[in-house]
Amino acid sequence: MDAETAKMLAAGLGIGLAAIGPGIGIGYLTGRATEAIARQPEAAGDIRTAMLIGAGMTEALTLYAFVISIILLFVA
Amino acid sequence: MLSEAAAEGSSKVVEVLEHELTTQPLVDIHLGGLDLSISNAVVYLWASAIVVFLIFFIASKRMRNRPGLLQSFAESLVNFGRGHLTGQIGEKGKKYYYLVLTIFVFILTTNLIGLIPKPGLMKPYLPTANINVTAAMAVVVFLTTQYLGVKNTELRRKREPIALSSDVPPVVAWTVKIVLFPFRILFTLLRKIGGYLKSWLLPPGVPKVLAVPLNGIFFLVHMVGELFRPVSLSVRLFGNTLAGHLVILVMLGLILEFGKWFVFVPAGAFVVIMTGFEIFVALLQAYIFALLSVLYIEGAIYAGH
Repeated sequence: MDAETAKMLAAGLGIGLAAIGPGIGIGYLTGRATEAIARQPEAAGDIRTAMLIGAGMTEALTLYAFVISIILLFVA
Repeated sequence: MLSEAAAEGSSKVVEVLEHELTTQPLVDIHLGGLDLSISNAVVYLWASAIVVFLIFFIASKRMRNRPGLLQSFAESLVNFGRGHLTGQIGEKGKKYYYLVLTIFVFILTTNLIGLIPKPGLMKPYLPTANINVTAAMAVVVFLTTQYLGVKNTELRRKREPIALSSDVPPVVAWTVKIVLFPFRILFTLLRKIGGYLKSWLLPPGVPKVLAVPLNGIFFLVHMVGELFRPVSLSVRLFGNTLAGHLVILVMLGLILEFGKWFVFVPAGAFVVIMTGFEIFVALLQAYIFALLSVLYIEGAIYAGH
């Protein structure tokens, strides 16, 4: 296996595996947020804001791996 | 890889990607070793800066008691910047409301302008899909937090006035004070920097044998954490916008490559949906960038307590 193949393999595997953790995280977060909204509908605005902030932060973890994959494919 | 695939004259997908994701210099300016040429990225950044400026400038020109559309939009943005976005900064941080609001509106405008489909003649480019642009904004926030952290360190021993004996003629006294003034400022600055760095260590009261290695570890960990913040800010914005943009462009490239209708219908619908999602992501990412800037500034102002 030469370097080019290894790079492509690493890029694909990296982004694929990196989608697992934040996927579980955001799913859990959204589930708990909908549960909280169901328990107290008048706090829906605050809960939605907190959920979106949490989703943005955990999304960043996938994106670190995405950036590394892009670097592997296109830069080196 | 991108350039060699394009050199083969291969698929339209690569053409579309090259079309919108590479910077093309318009006016070549090379100063020394630096490449300062005005490329399409620079032009689009100027365009969004002008749009942001015009929104607020025009809205503030003729202020009426029953505001029209633009003025109420600008007013709601300013209220958002003063209230919701910067909730916890409070008194000391009032000067930074507008910095954070500008960051928010600028990122939002840049992303939205980049989402509008433009013909090839306009050499379209999304500036935030370039790590340099987002890194520059993150470095601004980082420098602001470090500056504020140093400025708000409270020294335990205040700077004492110079006390000379009273039979020295006033000329000599004033000369001594003027000459020593810059050095005293420098020393105060160094003491403040030392105090700020000291806040990265363990709290006092740990025996020396334990304290020295633990202090070293604490300092390193804290420094890495501090340095990681601008990295995470810039990579978050960059990755989100680049990923969404790539998906849209690849779909468009697929439509162009296989020109059949049964490719066009699902891929076209997907592009429309993804563009809508990208608008949402643009708003969200601008908000998160601004909110995290607020949190870091607040953490630097109310240092540790």
